[in-house]
Amino acid sequence: MTDHTNRRDTALLDAPEGVVETLLYAVTILLRIFSRKTYNSATRAVLTNQIYFTSVQILPLFLIVSVLLGTLFIGMIFQTIKNLGLDEYLGTILIGFVVTELSPFVFVLLIALRSGSAINTEIAVMKVNRELFTLSVFGIDVIDYLFVPRILNGVISLVLLSVLFSIILVISGFLFSHIIFDMEFSMYSSLVAHSVLFSDMAILLLKCTAFGFCVTFIPILYGMKTSYMLTSIPVSVLQGMMRVFAAIITVEVLSLIARFI
Amino acid sequence: MSPDAPLISNLSVWENVALIQQYHQGYSGTTAHALTLQHLGMLRCESVAMKRNPELRDEERFRVMLLRAAMMNDVLVIDRPFLIIPNMADAGFMFENLEVLENLFTECFIFDYESHRSKYTTYDTETHRT
Repeated sequence: MTDHTNRRDTALLDAPEGVVETLLYAVTILLRIFSRKTYNSATRAVLTNQIYFTSVQILPLFLIVSVLLGTLFIGMIFQTIKNLGLDEYLGTILIGFVVTELSPFVFVLLIALRSGSAINTEIAVMKVNRELFTLSVFGIDVIDYLFVPRILNGVISLVLLSVLFSIILVISGFLFSHIIFDMEFSMYSSLVAHSVLFSDMAILLLKCTAFGFCVTFIPILYGMKTSYMLTSIPVSVLQGMMRVFAAIITVEVLSLIARFI
Repeated sequence: MSPDAPLISNLSVWENVALIQQYHQGYSGTTAHALTLQHLGMLRCESVAMKRNPELRDEERFRVMLLRAAMMNDVLVIDRPFLIIPNMADAGFMFENLEVLENLFTECFIFDYESHRSKYTTYDTETHRT
């Protein structure tokens, strides 16, 4: 009986192998995200819980990090701009570097450390405990119930947290522009508004979406790759997190290439 | 139900049972919650609704797994029940709980090891006595 269930389990729940199979699996998940059939009261509850754990529970830490890091960073940058006499590029540097590059990169690392590792461990433990098998036995699609809400949460959380961090940076920017350059709000807002390019914002949104997808999809994939031994859980988390880091760097490099070509 | 298909450990008891109703009957979370509590009450174990799998005693775990399987409203297949309730001397406990939930499934099949045959033959389903 156990042998029989093991074989069935393997057939249903093994992680995709190879690049093509993995890409097809990613496409399947993406299609499910946009399918109305995926969503029922159970999936919506999982999505709500995931957003709470990733975006809401982290808010106190997030706000402290954002205010401290953002204020110090903006202060240092503005002082350097003043020393170099590059006042006219203030808006471009603020939007072009701080908002579009620094903000998503800081928060993708934070979410990868906090949620990516948790997702990898959770899926690996579920695999070892045969809970993924249980779901399939009861006719519950693991992609719909487990994977889609986690991936969607990754994308939503990363976009929202990056936007929030950017808002804090822009507000800090106004404070420092007033202190360092004695700049009025109207002038500051005009500088910032003229530096915002639609193409940059589109790339920023795409980058956040890609980051959100990578920090959840890769841990899920490596969680599924776990064998049925408890000792394979730390190995799967280690491999998953290394791949997440590589994916973050790849997305960052691709977005930089897209911005400067 | 089977020892190879455990309860989901990051869900509470009621969520484990309600999940099946949400997926297969399309119930809302509130409706599924109310129905699950009602069924747990019928099995006299509503107090475990908020507990998770590792906190349950064997008998409680068996009742919850049985209820979850019955939620499919189909043929109920019980695989090696005495691996879930190893301390039970006979099948009496299982049959009593099956009677409570008899409206929730159409037929029931029990698969077990030959060595456990005596646990079934010593229990009289008519008189409910060993």
